[in-house]
Amino acid sequence: MPPFDKTQVQSKPFKQRKSFATRKQEVAGIRSKFPNKIPVIIERYAREKYLPPLDKTKFLVPHELTMTQFVTIIRNRMSLLPSQAFYLLINGGGMASMSLTMAQVYRDHQDQDGFLYMTYASQEMFGG
Amino acid sequence: MDAATLTYDTLRFGEFEDFPETSEPVWILGKEYNALTERDEILSDVTSRLWFTYRKNFPPIGGTGPTSDTGWGCMLRCGQMILGEALVCRHVGRDWRWARGQKQREEYISILNAFIDKKDSYYSIHQIAQMGVGEGKPIGQWYGPNTVAQVLKKLAVFDTWSRLVVHVAMDNTVVIEEIKRLCMPWLDAAGACGGEGELNGCLEGACALAEEETALWKPLVLLIPLRLGLSDINEAYIETLKQCFMLPQSLGVIGGKPNSAHYFIGYVGEELIYLDPHTTQPAVDPCEDGQVPDETYHCQHPPCRMHICELDPSIAAGFFCRTEDEFDDWCMRVRRLSCNRGGLPMFELVDSQPSHMVSVDALNLTPDFSDSDRLERFFDSEDEEFEILSL
Repeated sequence: MPPFDKTQVQSKPFKQRKSFATRKQEVAGIRSKFPNKIPVIIERYAREKYLPPLDKTKFLVPHELTMTQFVTIIRNRMSLLPSQAFYLLINGGGMASMSLTMAQVYRDHQDQDGFLYMTYASQEMFGG
Repeated sequence: MDAATLTYDTLRFGEFEDFPETSEPVWILGKEYNALTERDEILSDVTSRLWFTYRKNFPPIGGTGPTSDTGWGCMLRCGQMILGEALVCRHVGRDWRWARGQKQREEYISILNAFIDKKDSYYSIHQIAQMGVGEGKPIGQWYGPNTVAQVLKKLAVFDTWSRLVVHVAMDNTVVIEEIKRLCMPWLDAAGACGGEGELNGCLEGACALAEEETALWKPLVLLIPLRLGLSDINEAYIETLKQCFMLPQSLGVIGGKPNSAHYFIGYVGEELIYLDPHTTQPAVDPCEDGQVPDETYHCQHPPCRMHICELDPSIAAGFFCRTEDEFDDWCMRVRRLSCNRGGLPMFELVDSQPSHMVSVDALNLTPDFSDSDRLERFFDSEDEEFEILSL
């Protein structure tokens, strides 16, 4: 039997599943326990059709990890070919610059609740 | 132009708006024009680009497949247009101009033949659709900008006439060292030879094999697939997108409005200028004398325009660097642009591949189990746990 897929059930974005106060508290708790790690939320773009869902949403990543390394980990998790399009958009807006460290991205883009939010997507297809 | 032609053109192209009269600069593939004083030059430049559209009545793809690409082939046609522009730059030059009925140069005929709708043309709809099967796209399926870029990269290997390097830069990152290695593969071969004496020998060998102009650098077609936002283009990219069309190496951008692919060749003000493949024309056969009836391969009406904000965020930007100097110049210009504060860079230019990219397996980034144990105790009542990554 296939393992129970949480992502199918938890289709609502993380921010809508938990209140601001809960999220803030969660960050405070985890930061005190792991001061050298950054709390990151990674979610699939709601209209993404080609990339698989990830089995985890919440990650704790080292400050010095580069975006290249981080993207490599996620790409491997999904068993993507190097030629497949994969983009991580920070706060749903801009593509992450690959040479930055997580600490740099966190400094510039962390949410008010203390998490760093990223959305992944491939590319749209064109026909009609 | 006689009255009959005028009427015909007016009827046929009546729906197309004239080019705007504006004092804002018009940029077409790295060339700047004045819309008030250089109207004819603008239209002549646009008309000279290769225009690939839907076609009908071509030989069935794969022998038994579709004989028309109407309704599915628009991104494949845009891929043909951006690569066609690269072949124009490569073989006849960016400043070459088309004129109706003029005697066709041999190189120009060869370019058209590379795209004619039959199975053995280098970059025909047949070749692109069939090569796409390897990218997980059955014949007749819609492509994205990256899909067609990956297919063109594979097809270019067989085009021994153009000897192009088609490089698709992934993860919004362009690695200079990687490109130099691809465009000058004999440097690696020379390095593998070891001694300096042998190095000279290898270089001479390379020169003897290659055509004189590609002996030192295989002409580069650089395609950069990007995602400039989720559902809409992030406004922070608008200025950097415009700057793409200002670079002399620009091949334009393939992308579109949601669902409809376009080949963007420039901009004026807040509008993108594009060639639209969404017109079905009958397939063309070359004449007996070798000339190709080419009127339907050039867009003879004023080019289409749309507001930049209508652009679907999934695109691929293209650049052509005929020589190493042109590539170095491109790098210099891109660096200068990213120093300006006028917008968010669409991609990053780096000197070399970060070493950890070389071997991903060497990265020990599996979950840290000692941390996990502590975490489990910490969050034993939580609905979801953190995944901990350690270096």
